[in-house]
Amino acid sequence: MKTKGWMTALTLVVSAGLVLTGCGGGNKDNEETKAPAESTSTSTTTTGDAGKTDLGKAELTFMFRGGPDEQTAYNKTVDQFEKDHPGVKVKVISTAADQYATKLKAAITGKSVPDVFYYDPGDLMAYANGGVLLNLTQYVENNKDIDINKIWQKGVDLYRYDGATVGQGDIYGLPKDLGPFSMGYNKTMFEKAGIALPDKDKPYTWDEFMNVAQQLTKDNNGDGKLDQWGTGLNVTWNLQSLVWSNGADWIDPTHTKVTVDDPKFAEALQYFADMQNKYHVTPSIAEAQTLDTYQRWMQGQIGFFPVGPWDMSTYEKLPFDYDLIPYPAGSTGQSATWLGSLGIGVSSKTKYPEAAAALTMYLTGSEEGMKLLSDAKVQIPNLTDMATTWAADASSKPANKEEFLQIVNEYGRPIPGILTYNAEWYNLFFTDIQPVLDGKITAADYVKEEQPKMQKLLDKAIESMNKSMNK
Amino acid sequence: MTTKSKLYRKEAYWGYLFILPPVLGLLIFALFPVIYSVYGSFTDWDGLGQMNFIGLDNYKELFHDELFYKAMRNTLYMMLGIPLGLLLALMLALGLNRGIPGTTAFRVVYYVPVISSLAAISIMWNLAYNGDFGLVNQFLDLFGIKGPNWLMDKSTVKPAIMLMMIWKGLGYTMLLYLAALQSVPKDYYEAAELDGANAFSRLRHITWPMVKPVTFFVVVTNIIGGSQVFTEINIMTSTGGPEFSSASVVFYVWQKAFGNLQMGYASAMTVILGLFIFIVTLVQFKLDRSSEINE
Repeated sequence: MKTKGWMTALTLVVSAGLVLTGCGGGNKDNEETKAPAESTSTSTTTTGDAGKTDLGKAELTFMFRGGPDEQTAYNKTVDQFEKDHPGVKVKVISTAADQYATKLKAAITGKSVPDVFYYDPGDLMAYANGGVLLNLTQYVENNKDIDINKIWQKGVDLYRYDGATVGQGDIYGLPKDLGPFSMGYNKTMFEKAGIALPDKDKPYTWDEFMNVAQQLTKDNNGDGKLDQWGTGLNVTWNLQSLVWSNGADWIDPTHTKVTVDDPKFAEALQYFADMQNKYHVTPSIAEAQTLDTYQRWMQGQIGFFPVGPWDMSTYEKLPFDYDLIPYPAGSTGQSATWLGSLGIGVSSKTKYPEAAAALTMYLTGSEEGMKLLSDAKVQIPNLTDMATTWAADASSKPANKEEFLQIVNEYGRPIPGILTYNAEWYNLFFTDIQPVLDGKITAADYVKEEQPKMQKLLDKAIESMNKSMNK
Repeated sequence: MTTKSKLYRKEAYWGYLFILPPVLGLLIFALFPVIYSVYGSFTDWDGLGQMNFIGLDNYKELFHDELFYKAMRNTLYMMLGIPLGLLLALMLALGLNRGIPGTTAFRVVYYVPVISSLAAISIMWNLAYNGDFGLVNQFLDLFGIKGPNWLMDKSTVKPAIMLMMIWKGLGYTMLLYLAALQSVPKDYYEAAELDGANAFSRLRHITWPMVKPVTFFVVVTNIIGGSQVFTEINIMTSTGGPEFSSASVVFYVWQKAFGNLQMGYASAMTVILGLFIFIVTLVQFKLDRSSEINE
């Protein structure tokens, strides 16, 4: 009997343990929600002498993603934050880049959101309407250590939302970085070919660009096969520049109508496809779609290739000299490209809003943090004055870093997909595009065929947005 | 009588207590999510906020969703690899069963893909299929064949992924067959040989019926697994392939639920997929039973 009683207990313990560990699995990322209530004293008082801010006791989780260089830089920044704010402990969770979005969405659905986390600006509306994000406005304005005005205004505006329109109203996050997607060229190749270097202030016209690209496409070693090409672009990341500089867009200014059936849009898409099919200035059709052009660029076989700030640490080791130029301009005569960003936001369910907001500000706007990150060559500094100094430093490649800042300040635009409740309509355009790139159908036919399909998805996205606003 | 029933009740009590942990596990981690997603499929849930009941709207929309049909066709297409894998595995098992030297080494070689991480394998094959410097095309080049850009061409992407899946599952099926072959009594073959049956008849009338339970098991599990294929698709063609030509149903579900905030709609798709698997498996069990009676 005694043994049996013991067995009962054991069985119960085992089953209870099974249940508890199972439930705990989903909740692991959010241990602080179980923390005792008495530790929520989060009065902010700045102790003037040591430069340390007392945020009381808090345990935060911070979920992010990034390459090894970036992780090191962020871990250092977080350590510094902990030193400056005794009592605040930050648990860092980093995930692989391609799994991040899924993990975050799963955490949100499971109602165990980390206190501080990266999010895509395209999700801002959904997350703000869904009550996932904390409104940071008052914390940002009251923070004595970091001045929001020093951070790129265009970057902060990406995370403002007034309940109807993105870009104005309250702050629901801060930019981790801004990613101006610039155009680079192989300077060494130009010099060898005896072609005049492109002007860093005056963009090529489309004709000029094609002309130079044709001159660069050749067989250097005389084996009858091409071993050098003018360019090799990826439609997903490079079509925007052509479309915008030709005066067209994916969506109208009210964000309610898909406008890809504009003839100017078709012209830009045709120009893109013709690079491969008509003018043959890129490696063959199939090859241009893989990473190959990236590899070829790094081996010095490609004349023009896009460059983002995140490429700088890798391109440092290139066996040739490269620099940045504005994108070739279409009928508007203006260069255009996209300006990416990733945001850092705070969960509305956090127990320590003040500490979480302070961490967010520290990661995005502190001098120490930004220095660590820009030294790692993974991004441009978030602080305007620091960025100016950084761009003026001619000792590091590329020399014309100023181009990045011009994109941020002047001609960079957000990717159209992030302007709407979801990006399904925008993604469909690229899902179906292969036949155009292969020259099987014309751009004009494609955009005509695709517009209604995209419009249908956009209508659905708008409907979902309206529903989420009424909640 | 009363004592006996008391003992019986006591036994039952202990019995229930022992099965409690797995039953609880099933209820909490399998049944509850299933019921929840069936309920979710009747709502406009976006995964963030509240769920509003919208009746059959999701299902109605699903019937007109071109991409869903495409994903379904892709999924079925990739299942064509199952019989091929089965045949190869049986042939390998027959070969290894002959006791040729190095059997253990071969067994290990074929089993390595099975225990390797699917994600790692997908990344490896992704490189192998690269149109320019990939191992597959380099190999074809030796014979003067110019290989396609496997994962970027809508006509080759599905066979390419299928091939990888066959390669990955081969060792497991082979091992099952090997075990089944070794348990076939030798005297059957001896008797057949005495009666003058040739090698093919022995294979057809002894080996094949004897390993049939394994075949049945592998087909059922492979169809269930094949309906849920996701990881390799997601890693090798992160946008669902050119013109969505490699997207599986689960890939489309994932895209809808986690990419486009349509948890309700995605739930409706999983319900349809679940029903599909259920019906197919049911039919298979029926077929298996009827064939047993006939023999």
